Amino acid sequence: MGNRKVRTPLSILLPICLATFAAHAQSFRVQCPTSTITHPSTVTNVNAEPAYNGPTVFATVPVANGQGGYLTPTSNVNGAIKCQQISGGDGYSTMADGTQTFMFSFGPLSGLADIANGLPGTQFPTAFNSLYPYPTPLQPGDPATTDKASDSPYTQGGYQEGAPGAFAWNGAVGLVPDVDANNGSGTAGALIDGHVDPRQIMDVGVMNGNIPAPLIGIDEDDELFLTLTNVGMIMRPDLFEQHTVHFHGYPNASSFYDGVPDASVAINIGGSFTYYYLSPDAGTYFYHCHITPPEHLQMGMVGQLYVRPRQNRLASGTSLYAGLQFQQSDLRTACSPANDILCSATLPAINTGTAQGPDKLGNPQKYAYNDGDGSTAYDVEYPLQMHGFDPNFHFVGMTFNPEAFVDMKDKYFLLNGRSYPDTVRPGPQATQSSDGKMHYSQPLPAIINIPVGGKALLRLVNLSVSEYHTIQSLGVPMKVVGWNAKLLRDQEGNNTEYYTNSITLGGGESLDAILDASNTALFQPGQVFYLYSPNLDHLSNDAENFGGLMTEVHICNSVSSSTFGNTCN
Amino acid sequence: MREMKKMNRANSKTIQFCGWAVLAIVLTGSAFAAVPGITGPTFNLTAQDAHLNQPDGSAVYSWGYGCSQKPSGFVPQGIANATCPSMQVPGPTLVVTEGQTVTVNLTNNLPAAAGNTSILFPGFQVATTGGVVGLITQEAAPGGSVTYSFTASSPGTRGYYSGTQGDLQVEMGLYGAIVVLPKNPPANCSAGYHASNLLAEQHWGESDFRLSTAAYDHPSTCYDREYLFQWAEMDSRIHRQAEAQVLDPTRVALCAQGAATAGCSLSVQTEPYHPAYFLINGRSMPYLMDPNYAAEYPHQPYNGNPHMHPGELVLIRTVGQGRWQHPFHEHANHVRILARDGNLILTPDGQALAGILMFNTDTTPGQAFDGIFYFTARGLNWDAYGHHPAPNTPGSPADANASLPCTPDANGYNTGDPTAINYFEWCQDHNKPLQVNPFGDVAAGGPATLPDPNIFTNGAWYGGTPYLGPDASLRATAPACDTTQNAGCTTLLPSNTQANPANERGWAFMWHSHNEREITTNNVFPGGMLMMMLVDSREFVIDESL
Repeated sequence: MGNRKVRTPLSILLPICLATFAAHAQSFRVQCPTSTITHPSTVTNVNAEPAYNGPTVFATVPVANGQGGYLTPTSNVNGAIKCQQISGGDGYSTMADGTQTFMFSFGPLSGLADIANGLPGTQFPTAFNSLYPYPTPLQPGDPATTDKASDSPYTQGGYQEGAPGAFAWNGAVGLVPDVDANNGSGTAGALIDGHVDPRQIMDVGVMNGNIPAPLIGIDEDDELFLTLTNVGMIMRPDLFEQHTVHFHGYPNASSFYDGVPDASVAINIGGSFTYYYLSPDAGTYFYHCHITPPEHLQMGMVGQLYVRPRQNRLASGTSLYAGLQFQQSDLRTACSPANDILCSATLPAINTGTAQGPDKLGNPQKYAYNDGDGSTAYDVEYPLQMHGFDPNFHFVGMTFNPEAFVDMKDKYFLLNGRSYPDTVRPGPQATQSSDGKMHYSQPLPAIINIPVGGKALLRLVNLSVSEYHTIQSLGVPMKVVGWNAKLLRDQEGNNTEYYTNSITLGGGESLDAILDASNTALFQPGQVFYLYSPNLDHLSNDAENFGGLMTEVHICNSVSSSTFGNTCN
Repeated sequence: MREMKKMNRANSKTIQFCGWAVLAIVLTGSAFAAVPGITGPTFNLTAQDAHLNQPDGSAVYSWGYGCSQKPSGFVPQGIANATCPSMQVPGPTLVVTEGQTVTVNLTNNLPAAAGNTSILFPGFQVATTGGVVGLITQEAAPGGSVTYSFTASSPGTRGYYSGTQGDLQVEMGLYGAIVVLPKNPPANCSAGYHASNLLAEQHWGESDFRLSTAAYDHPSTCYDREYLFQWAEMDSRIHRQAEAQVLDPTRVALCAQGAATAGCSLSVQTEPYHPAYFLINGRSMPYLMDPNYAAEYPHQPYNGNPHMHPGELVLIRTVGQGRWQHPFHEHANHVRILARDGNLILTPDGQALAGILMFNTDTTPGQAFDGIFYFTARGLNWDAYGHHPAPNTPGSPADANASLPCTPDANGYNTGDPTAINYFEWCQDHNKPLQVNPFGDVAAGGPATLPDPNIFTNGAWYGGTPYLGPDASLRATAPACDTTQNAGCTTLLPSNTQANPANERGWAFMWHSHNEREITTNNVFPGGMLMMMLVDSREFVIDESL
């Protein structure tokens, strides 16, 4: 077990870092308004996704006192407000050969329970703005600490993940009532306005890095408030690294919120910054830090982000084609190829007459895109991130030496931050960090459970900084329906989707592939198939020549939910 | 010891970054790009050696194509200091028109030990005259010549490169691009938005630097601006071996007896391949963003410095040279792939486009693609210009630019008046505030709170404001700072050095290889395959002649 523990002079480093904060006031805060111009709480419930039955109806706000003159909804408000907080800092993860690897990383500072369960940490305001309810304060290492994850020699992987569920809170870490904003009248009835107690943020956020970074899942028409809180890198007190979030692939991005430090602002240690976006078109995007990208991406600051389409929210029985016609009547959501060369979700050439109905799980059918014909329908979805770690680079990155970029050579090949066989171990993977606490370092497994006769959407991204990766599906065919967060459809509405058994992505690319197990004669419950890299040298865990970029596809009688954390029955 | 390493690390990183950033700023003041090239249809080229300048201070021995005599002409018109040296990397961009008969006379002026050389023109039916027989084409022997001729049968962007010992000669720099312009650009490319974009250009005194109005003869391939990017990596150890052998006195003596003399040849290891330089148009960041034909880089005349105004359709011509793939990530929007290697990708009936949309356009060795990009800020849900209806802060003169109208056209854009600063504004978000409690003179009531600027580090291309436009940083960064006439205002935030032109507030986006280690130069970040693309406010003159 010795190799799981990192012995470091933390007692020496920590005071140095804390002294920095003491001497220079921190400026942490979170943002999650409960009413905005686009989602006024007087007109809509900002804590729910209403059914989509046509564009939002707007009216112009009258001009008064130098304000107004803009559009605000009056009825039929679509989407909701979503909030998330992540830390920028460092942490450790465990490779499949047992090696602990130092990372620069994002970690969860909201939605902790959801993330431990393999779900997006993105929350409605009512959940995000909820205060920590338990009698004992948040502990360093939470939620793993409360879940009683332990460095136990008795379990398969050398640790016990604890009991996810013991910790069930999804609010923003640090959030406390703003006493000052309430004229100092005490905590009773004081405002929840984003004011935070930095002690909780440091307790939970330090050394709490995740690979992949906390999952972000939003719906079209949502407003997303993503707060990045830079807690500093405790293992690297020589670096005063800023961090940022780049929303990779966002169409018509704003330079200000694009996360490129050269073109905007970068967030110093001790500061928080809230990125604000209205959800872009549905698709599979991702995010990463854009500070010194070859370093910060290699070191692990890479996460997944996807946008679900309006079509998911059509009322049962509504024609998908009619639903897409609704979208054509709002210029923001319309796709008219004659007028916009960069849109793809145009009306399909053939109206299949498909109507919204239940999926194999009995939930409303879900789609990767606003296809209007059901061609991107799926039953279960799994974001899969391909990445690579160069152990030499990470080791040098943990010390105070300059890293060499030319010699970068990945030797751990990761699917959702794990290599085989860790990819098929359910539950959050924990790593003991240099603070002596267990942390959920790799919350996402990569097990693909498909209900019999069903379809699994793989939201595939490659964030490797040095290699192209190929993923092959042994058995279950892949239908590629989206590329780089756009539906595969030509300007005349013909679907250009295609079937394949392998896909190849370069760094910074994404695609949507549906594992189609709808042929029940071929794909029967109990069968196991494999997804793996035919780049055969990527099937290794450093010196171990078996492992790497591989996971399993299980055909199940049924599954308990539609993404990671589900059970294959 | 540990402390020293720590200091070295921190210092070297800081010094490198600051030094290069300042250098980039000094040099990039007002450099632009377009697609500079030479016209024919007869091209007299030579293959020669010279050294390429890299930002780590090294001069890398290389081979390249150049002009053996003055070309017929330079395009586009009016680019300052246009020249075609006897050696350049990439080679001269050959610009011809569909249907022309192209003749390329190549003379081999490489060191005799380098042996024969040649040019391949993939995508064309090439006839050869003269030269000596090579493995895949006729070659020019040392000191000799060969002539290639072909009909420029269809429009598009394609690469050309050496067909002789490619693992060495292409690596050494013997590659370039050929652009075939459509013979009959469709009429719609001079109408509609394209016509009003041109009116806007003319209003602000901006010149048109396009080679054509369409990439192909197809009405869906119109464009308003264009750039060419050639991607290649370089392993300087190969170049050093070649240089050492070329200068080796024994070889020099043998070659003096005639190029065919035994021993007058090179023996350069091209594997294992370990590139440390990552080039776009033969340059690395920040040199990449310096002007075309800059005197500092006599053998790397072409830059990579894209600019555009909101709403312009920008044609991205890209050629993968070298031997690696590079995922070219365009921040800010997708790219519609029009064609690969000059082959338009169309719907089955040929009426519309069928190429895919990508935010990472892979570059592949030997492959070219043409793609269309644009930026409009559509759908941000806040007014990109920071407009609001009554900008008159008490005590300050009014800033008329702060309260411009926005009248949506059929697509929702403000295009009725091509002379407006907010031409092509997305009107659905007009006047919609971003900030809850703004600094300066923009409206309050928006969704986002911007924190104390003191906890930020400002980038060199950051205009000091979230907003776009000539007065944006004045109005949005300091109280009572609502006009460019107000002498009390400053455009600079603490620590901010400006690469973003000071008389506007453009929006900068990084265009780069997303195999991120390729945005380094010989182990140093930033460098390599990295450019900053600027979306310039409409009144700012993008002068590609500089």
